[in-house]
Amino acid sequence: MSKGVHRFAVLVAGATFFLIIAGANVTSHDAGLAVPDWPLSFGKFFPKMVGNVFWEHGHRMIATGVGMLTIALALIIQFKERRTWVKRLGWTALAAVIAQGLLGGLTVKLLLPLAVSAAHATLAQLFFLITVSLAVFTSRSWIEPPDTAVEDSDAPSTRSLTVLALIVILVQLVLGATLRHSATWDEELPFGLLLAHIGGAITVALVLGFTVTRVLRRHGTEKYLARPALIATGLLITQLGLGVAAYLARRASPSDPQPLTYMVSLTVAHVACGALVFAATIVLMLRAFRLMRGTQRDYALAAA
Amino acid sequence: MLSKHARLWLGLIALVSLLSLASSCSKSSEDDTGDNGPTEAGKAYTAKGNEGTISGVVTYNGAVPESKKIDTSADAACTSKSPNLTTEEWAVKDGKLANTYVYIKEGTLADNSKVSAYSTWPGTPGAATLDQNGCHYKPHVMGVMVNQAITITNSDPTTHNIHFTPKSNPDWNQSQPNGAAPLTHKLARAEILVPVKCNQHPWMKSYVAVSKHPFFAVTAEDGSFTLKGVPPGKYTVVAWHEGGATGTEKTMEVTVPASGAGKADFSFGAAAMGQPSSLTVVPAIEFPMLNKH
Repeated sequence: MSKGVHRFAVLVAGATFFLIIAGANVTSHDAGLAVPDWPLSFGKFFPKMVGNVFWEHGHRMIATGVGMLTIALALIIQFKERRTWVKRLGWTALAAVIAQGLLGGLTVKLLLPLAVSAAHATLAQLFFLITVSLAVFTSRSWIEPPDTAVEDSDAPSTRSLTVLALIVILVQLVLGATLRHSATWDEELPFGLLLAHIGGAITVALVLGFTVTRVLRRHGTEKYLARPALIATGLLITQLGLGVAAYLARRASPSDPQPLTYMVSLTVAHVACGALVFAATIVLMLRAFRLMRGTQRDYALAAA
Repeated sequence: MLSKHARLWLGLIALVSLLSLASSCSKSSEDDTGDNGPTEAGKAYTAKGNEGTISGVVTYNGAVPESKKIDTSADAACTSKSPNLTTEEWAVKDGKLANTYVYIKEGTLADNSKVSAYSTWPGTPGAATLDQNGCHYKPHVMGVMVNQAITITNSDPTTHNIHFTPKSNPDWNQSQPNGAAPLTHKLARAEILVPVKCNQHPWMKSYVAVSKHPFFAVTAEDGSFTLKGVPPGKYTVVAWHEGGATGTEKTMEVTVPASGAGKADFSFGAAAMGQPSSLTVVPAIEFPMLNKH
C-alpha cells in the first residue's frame, strides 16, 4: 500500500468533514430552499451567490467536489489496493455519496420533509464513517500495527465497548440531526426531541467515558489505543460544552430578526465537533479490533 | 463490567430518550381556528339589506418593544434599497397596534344558522397582492378567502423565493427573479395564519390568513378595523397578532343588530405578548396560537 493512497483517503475524509460543516451552515441559515430547483441552481451551473444562495449553492459545489474525490478514491483503491474488502469499501463509499447526492436533491424537490432531511444528515455521518475507515485501513499503522499482543479478557470486552460507544454516538447524531431539522431558527425546538437529545448526550458521555477509562486503565501504555481514546475524551468534553452553548443561543434565536452569526457558529461547531467525536471513536474501535485478541479461553471455545 | 447501578441508570436514560422521541414524533395536528376544513359545498348567503358592521380599535398597553435592525449585507441589492430595514413585528403608533388580523371565528345569524354553514357570500373579494419591495413584504399581514388568487410581485433588483409554509395547505416555494412576471397562488383550505418567508433573505416574513368568509380585516396604522356586510347575529370575533412566542389571539363576543354596528375593541399588552412586565396581567380569554411558524 502506497503512502499516496492513504494521503488521498485522508484528503477525502477531510473534505467530507468540510462538507458536513457546509451542510450544517445550510440548516442553521435556513437556506435549504433558497435554491428551489435541483440539480441546477436557478437553471444555471453557477448562479449569483447572494443571500442564502451562497450557503445552499456552496454546499452543492462542495458536495460535487467530494463526489469527484470519492470517484477518484474508489478508482485508486481499485488499482493500487490488493485487499478485496478494501476495494469493496471504496465502491461502497461511492455508492453512499451518490445516494447522499440524490437524497440532497429530494430534500429540495420535496420541500424539506423532516424524514428526508434527517436521512440526508444521517447518511452524511455514515459516509463520513466509511471515509474515515478507509483512511484508517490504508494507513501504515493499520498494516503494521504494534507487535504487542493485547488480550481483551474483560467482560464486556473493550472491543464490544467501542462498538457500543460508536452505536450510541451514531444514534445521538441522528437525534441531533432530527432535532435541527424539526424547527427553523425562528421556531422553538420541539421539547420531546430536545429531551431525547439531552438523554442521548448523557448516554454518550457515560458509555464513551466508561470505554475510554477502560482503554486507559488497561492499555494506557499502548499509544496505538491511548491516543484516539484521549482525543475522543477531549472532543467529548468540548462537545458537551458546545452543546450547552448552542442550546442557549438557539433558545434565544426565535426572537432574533434573522439567524445571527453567534447562533450559527455555535450550532455548526456543535455539529462539526460531533462528527469529530464520531471519527475519533471510529479510529479507536478499528484499532481495538486490530490490536486486541480474545483470551486463550475464547479461542478454545471457538475451536470446540 | 458495568455495575448494576450503572446499568440501571443507562437503561432509564435510554427509556426516557425513547419516550421523548416518541412523544415528539406524534406531533399534534390540532388547530384551534375551527375553520380549517376544505371548502365544502355549503349554503349560499343572500344579502337581505339589513347587514351591519363590526368595527373597533386594537391598542397596545405598556412599553413598546423596539424594532430590531436587520443586517441585509448578505445581498447588496437589499442594502442599497433598504439601508435601515427593521423588524415589523411591533407596529405601534400612539398606543394603536397595526398588522393585527381580526376575523369572525364563528357565530349564529338571526335565523339561528351558523356562519360556518355558508360557503358562498355576496360580493367578490378584491385583488390581493403581496409585493416583495425593499427586501420585505408589503403588506406584512393580509387576509384572503379560500381559493382567492394572491398576486405576488417582485419590485426588488434581486431574486426572491416566496415560500408559503402552511400546516393545512400544501407547501409552496417558487423563485422570482427581478423583473419576472407576477406569480399567482391560491390556498384551498382555511388557515389562520400561513407564514410566508424568503429562504434567500431569512429576515423576510409575512402572514397570510385564509378564511371561508369575507368577515376579516387587518388593522390600519391607527389600529382601526371594520368588518363590513355582517348579517345580524351573535359572533365570536378574534384578534390575532404575531407577537409572543407563538403568536397571540384575543377573543370577544359581539352582537350585530339588524342594520346596526357591533363594537370590538381589543387590547394587547407587554404581559400578554410575552414581553417583560412589572404587572401580572391575566387576560380574560387568550389562546396561544399553535400554527405560527
